[in-house]
Amino acid sequence: MTTTAAKTTQVYRVFIKASADQIWEAITRPEWTARYFHGAHITVTPEHYDSRSADGDVWGDSAVEVFDPPQKLVHGWRSLYDPEMALEDESRVTWEIEEDEHGVCLLTVTHDRLEGAPKTAAGVSGAGWTGVISNLKTLLETGEPMH
Amino acid sequence: MTDDDHVFKALADPTRRHLLDRLFERDGRTLTELESELAMTRFGVMKHLRVLEDAGVVVTRREGREKLHFLNPVPIRLIHDRWIDKYTERQVSALSELKTRLEGRR
Repeated sequence: MTTTAAKTTQVYRVFIKASADQIWEAITRPEWTARYFHGAHITVTPEHYDSRSADGDVWGDSAVEVFDPPQKLVHGWRSLYDPEMALEDESRVTWEIEEDEHGVCLLTVTHDRLEGAPKTAAGVSGAGWTGVISNLKTLLETGEPMH
Repeated sequence: MTDDDHVFKALADPTRRHLLDRLFERDGRTLTELESELAMTRFGVMKHLRVLEDAGVVVTRREGREKLHFLNPVPIRLIHDRWIDKYTERQVSALSELKTRLEGRR
């Protein structure tokens, strides 16, 4: 069990000096995501997660499992931006926002159910999610993305 | 201590860096697994893991009866963006300035 979880679950966490509402907006609206998420225009509704390139190519298209603003968002993940990864099984991404003190929130992103998506698992690990999340923090705290 | 202080403190110890490297190789390990690779008591390893957790570079999750330890690279990335990028950029521009000066002299 441990071995399975090890290969199929990734956890990323950061404190962000912003309100839970601001963070929620930044992860569910395209005008925000385009500025820190590799240019992806991501729109999240209570039912659907939709990610597109600036040209309208579909990069992600999955169902939303949990839509509980501004605390918890759970949606499917398919790497449609890469032809090989696009053939892999759908995995799952969970965003949890907890209010801390002094206007700071703790954001935890868990990417799991990666059993049937080893290329995606390798692709999003390390620089992938780390870059997106540190960029999100910088954008919300300074108004400008780092990279 | 600021967030950065916690991360620098966490990284300023060879055992803790070793633990991070082990988690980098394979994520989501139990204390027992991590302990088996170190010549150290269980309490010693727990103490180091707590420092890593306080700094946010290790995140734990319960899966059934087990507590799994995950590497969270985000704080290290933030240190990199804040401290490393900035100074290496200056170094590069200093070198290119030197190059221009030396070449201009010829």
